[in-house]
This record gives sequence, structure tokens and C-alpha cells, in this order.
Amino acid sequence: MKTPFHLNEKTILVTGATSGIGFQVVKSIVEMGAKVVISGRNERKLNNVKKQFGDAVIQLLAHDLTDEKEIESLASLSVNLNGVVHCAGIVNPYPIRYLNFKKLDETMRLNYYSAVVLIGQLDRKKKLEKGTSIVFISSISAQHPHKGGATYSSSKAALESFSKVVAMEYSHRRIRSNVVSPAMVKTPLYEKAAEDASHESMQAHVDKYPLGIGDPEDVANAIIYLLSDASRWVTGTKIVLDGGCLLGY
Amino acid sequence: MIDENEFVRLLENEFEDVEEGSLKPDSSYREIPNFSSMYALIIIAFIDNEFDVLLTGEDLRSTETIADLYAIIQKKLNK
Repeated sequence: MKTPFHLNEKTILVTGATSGIGFQVVKSIVEMGAKVVISGRNERKLNNVKKQFGDAVIQLLAHDLTDEKEIESLASLSVNLNGVVHCAGIVNPYPIRYLNFKKLDETMRLNYYSAVVLIGQLDRKKKLEKGTSIVFISSISAQHPHKGGATYSSSKAALESFSKVVAMEYSHRRIRSNVVSPAMVKTPLYEKAAEDASHESMQAHVDKYPLGIGDPEDVANAIIYLLSDASRWVTGTKIVLDGGCLLGY
Repeated sequence: MIDENEFVRLLENEFEDVEEGSLKPDSSYREIPNFSSMYALIIIAFIDNEFDVLLTGEDLRSTETIADLYAIIQKKLNK
């Protein structure tokens, strides 16, 4: 049977590849036949990822995506791509009354500015092949924010709008751009949130998930679909992955 | 670094329903009226803002009184 549900002969850049959702994306797309370019700040961690996946990882790019020049250099060095999964991101809850430009910048730079400049630079350096699929990781908190989320929720909402602009500007080359929007997923970021929150408030949140909270694999599976030719007619849209927690809202 | 009493006054000032002079160094900050996870967030952000010291959830859990908070800030500043 001929199926479009595979990633054979595709080269895909994954940012934030050393942990959480990014690491799982590398693992899952390698299993689906892709070659992977991995990006992260820490060279040692990138080498560890390379060790685990061997020849499927064809390039390591140790760059800090909060720095414009580094993004430019990443784009110059990268091989040509058929897919981009931008996973790099941070969560930094902060009450509005203490926010200033510097504090906003910490989150916005990585969660939003880096996405814009990365796509722009990859395009200018002609690294995006015809038909490239771009996937951004948003969060249900873009539409369903939380207290302290002025930076995180807003950065993800900005990212979602940006993805639609990418979809429009690049459609003539059949380049597609989509977003996955997970609710709570068991990642190091989650572990940190769980550690920071009280046990009761965390349990109260987890209880809202009819299917329980998600695994990174659940997010990676949706990303595989968006990267594959099975989704060739899908662009400028969003897949919500929430274990049913938004049902009834 | 300001002294402990001044720290108590500054912290007091950050909360709506706290009367001036009602908190003492040995007051438990969790007993501030309407204390919630939002207040915990405010304490972390206030300390980050004022002293450039970032407390973790673990730090916060290890403290009970305002004096404990003051001590942990000093410890981190001296590192």
C-alpha cells in the first residue's frame, strides 16, 4: 500500500531538540524515516542526541536563538530543508505589575521573535525547499490564559498569528505553516511548574483532563502528520491537543 | 541590603488587604488575607524585581515567615 503517512526523504530542522517536546519530535520523526538537523544552545546535549539517533541526525547547530546574529548563522549553516519544527520556548510566569520591557523581552525573544527571524533567515538563505512544512508549538494558554501568563500566553498568541502570515506569504511555493496547541504535557517545563505550584493546585488542574495530561509523544504524533505529505492541503491552521480538557468551555 | 523591618514594610505594601504595621518578621506570609498561588507569584516577582534574586518554588516551600524570606534573599545575595 502506498501511504503519504511517512517522512522518508525529508530533512527536518528541529529547534529546542535536546529536551521536552523537541527531543520527542526528533525521536518520532527519525522513526518515521526523516533525516534531522538539530538545534539547541548546549553543544554537549546536542551531541548526546546525535549519539542516540546516529546517522539520522545529519547536522548539529549549537546556537542561541535569542540572538539575531546566531539565528542568521544557523540559517547560513543549515542544509536545505523540507520541514521545520520550532520547539524552543520558555515559560516565565510573572504578575503584570512587575513586568517591564526587559522582562517581556526574555520571553518574547525566544517564544516569538526567534520564530519570525528564523523563518525569515531560512527563506533568505534559500534553505526552504518547495513544499516545506513548518510547525510551531503553541499552547492552549494562547486562548485560555492563566494568571501570570502576560508574557507566555501573549507570546503564543503572537506565534499563532505569525504562523498564519507565513501560510499566506509562502503558499505560492506550497510552503505550509501550522501550529500544534497542546494543553499540559509531561515535560521538564511541566516538572518545573509542578514543583513551583502547590500540590493541591496542580492536582485540581490535572483533574480537569478527561484523558489525563499528555505525553510528549502525543504532540509529536500530530507534528508527524503536519510534516508529512498526508497534510498537503492543510495550512494556516491549528491542531489542539488537550486530552479533552477544554470540552465544555 | 535593607534591614529586616524595612523588608517587612516593603512586602506589606505589595498586598491590597494588609494594614500598615500588621505584619512582623515572624508573621507567616501564608496567613496574609486571601493568600493564593497568585500571591506566591507576586512574592517571587517582587523579590526578583527589588533585589534581583530569583526564588524557586522549592525555596518558597522551605519558608514560613517573612524573616525566612529575608534570610533566603540574604543567603542568595551573598553567594
